[in-house]
Amino acid sequence: MQIIQPKILKGTREFGTDDMSKRNCVMDTIKRIFSTYGYGPIETPILNPAETILGKYGGEGDRLTYNFKDNGNRSLALPYDLTVPFARYFAANWQQLPLPFKRYQIQRVWRAEKPQKGRLREFYQCDIDIIGTNSLLAEAEVARVITNVFTELGFSNFKIKTNSRRLMNDIFESFNVPKDKAMQSIRIIDKLGKIGEEGVLEELKKLGVEDVKNLLQTLKPEGSIEATLSRLSEYDTSEIETLVSYCKALQIPSEILNFDPTLARGLDYYTGIIYEVISLENPDLGSLCGGGRYDNLCGLFCKESFSGMGVAFGFERIMIAMEERGAFEDIQPNAEVLVTVFDEDSISSSLEIYELLTSEGISAEIYFEVDKLKKQLKFADKKGIPFVIIQGPEEKEKGEVMIKSMKSGKQKSIPLTQLINYLKSYEQS
Amino acid sequence: MNKVNTRIRIAVQNKGRLMEPSLDYLRRCGLEFETEKRSLTAKCKNAEIELIFVRNKDITEYVKYDVADFGIVGQNVLMEKGQQFEVIRELGFGKCDLVVAIPNDSKVKSVSDLEHERIATSYPNTLREFLKKKKISASVIEIQGSVEICPSLGLADAVFDITQTGKTIEENNMKVLEKLASSEAVLIKNPNTKPQYEDMFL
Repeated sequence: MQIIQPKILKGTREFGTDDMSKRNCVMDTIKRIFSTYGYGPIETPILNPAETILGKYGGEGDRLTYNFKDNGNRSLALPYDLTVPFARYFAANWQQLPLPFKRYQIQRVWRAEKPQKGRLREFYQCDIDIIGTNSLLAEAEVARVITNVFTELGFSNFKIKTNSRRLMNDIFESFNVPKDKAMQSIRIIDKLGKIGEEGVLEELKKLGVEDVKNLLQTLKPEGSIEATLSRLSEYDTSEIETLVSYCKALQIPSEILNFDPTLARGLDYYTGIIYEVISLENPDLGSLCGGGRYDNLCGLFCKESFSGMGVAFGFERIMIAMEERGAFEDIQPNAEVLVTVFDEDSISSSLEIYELLTSEGISAEIYFEVDKLKKQLKFADKKGIPFVIIQGPEEKEKGEVMIKSMKSGKQKSIPLTQLINYLKSYEQS
Repeated sequence: MNKVNTRIRIAVQNKGRLMEPSLDYLRRCGLEFETEKRSLTAKCKNAEIELIFVRNKDITEYVKYDVADFGIVGQNVLMEKGQQFEVIRELGFGKCDLVVAIPNDSKVKSVSDLEHERIATSYPNTLREFLKKKKISASVIEIQGSVEICPSLGLADAVFDITQTGKTIEENNMKVLEKLASSEAVLIKNPNTKPQYEDMFL
């Protein structure tokens, strides 16, 4: 029989227990914070009628959407992001949902990209949205959630950059940028980080925007939010001011929230406050989280229009940043304790100890063979299990167990009745 | 017992080594009051001040919750609570040391030998912090009181506790391995209490 190559598709990935433990640890933290702020989880299908997904992301987006005919010759598509599946879900269910509706969603999405570094065919997105309210409290809350996520994941120097699309449009108007060119101008300004000021000036000129130097000068942020606001005093900056005051009440440190009038974010459905998160320790990674206020996301799926606010966390980039920082050194992917089996006669008592540990919620493993102790210890070492429990006839006679620390090599005998408390009270330094 | 009716409330230990010296101190500050057995409060005769007698470890809570304006508490308790309180006076009484003690016949020679051992204490947070600092992994056995008895009962290999004279440690056939910190009684203040009230304290 021919052996099939055990390979996976280019642009897809698989994760072993070490990697998955790290990913789960980060996901658990993120989910816990989301639910602390009252976001509930939802999940939407992977297989969708093609028309649900196609035609929402422009020509380039359609080209990158996985779509195919299934066995019944139906046209299907895989999600390109979580925003469109969420919009469809909300449009189909809003009458039954409590409004405003807050959800989080962590799922795989697919891109029919040519795989290369940083571009995958299959990856996770991680979104939160509040839909069904215009209130700026939603924006402030999302900023608080972002702050908690990055702080708890150990990012010590990150910024939430914010801007208002409304304000940006006001400024464009005062510079006589034609309405039909506003969106293109926003996309050009969005490239400020990539192509620099000169590049942006040139492209704006090419577009036919006048007075581009002054325009860009007007948009440039000052050293503090107050200074930037006071320079823009001829415009209506109340949205930013209100947001800043709410964020202050939510105790978001002022050094984290940065008002940057050049912040654009390319997508054209944003209508109000927008956010982008960067980590100054990992500037090469670009945006780690982004999103904003939208007014008519569900318009394609229902007649009613709903205003909402949401951001997507770049889960894969967050993982890369944390890996670079060495954040996962303490992660314990395997059990805390290995119960060894001393000899054939002690199998039952080893099983009893094993049951005692696991019933108390201590993660443990039992060694499956009656091997030499040395071999059993080697197994613990290879799996990175920190404690090994040994009960030879002598310990058993006294009702004791020997507990060995694999890290220090030290071992000591304690009464079996103290084992659980010993382990639960252990302070790993 | 509404706080509006009394101007100032001071939380004092209801029993234990700080109680008598605390009352002496308050009398030296000029407060006149009588304490009755079993009474949990005492009103001052010469000032709009009320003393409340509470458990040692609750004093910080009363101050934190804005129920008491001032509290007299040991630094050892503040260390264990790990919360920031405004200390306005160090009172010079209730002095004691926080020590690690081991049985006289113990094989432990230095604190690094405590690795992997069991240490009994009523101050688990303080001990954990110390172990972290010294990079020692050990089992912190929490006991509410009389921790000195634990080694002889086979419950622990060492203890971490406060000691004034070292007598209790000696009586339990133990010796001090290392002194980690010293402590005395301090006067703490609630951040909402007006600073001028501090003036009455010596």
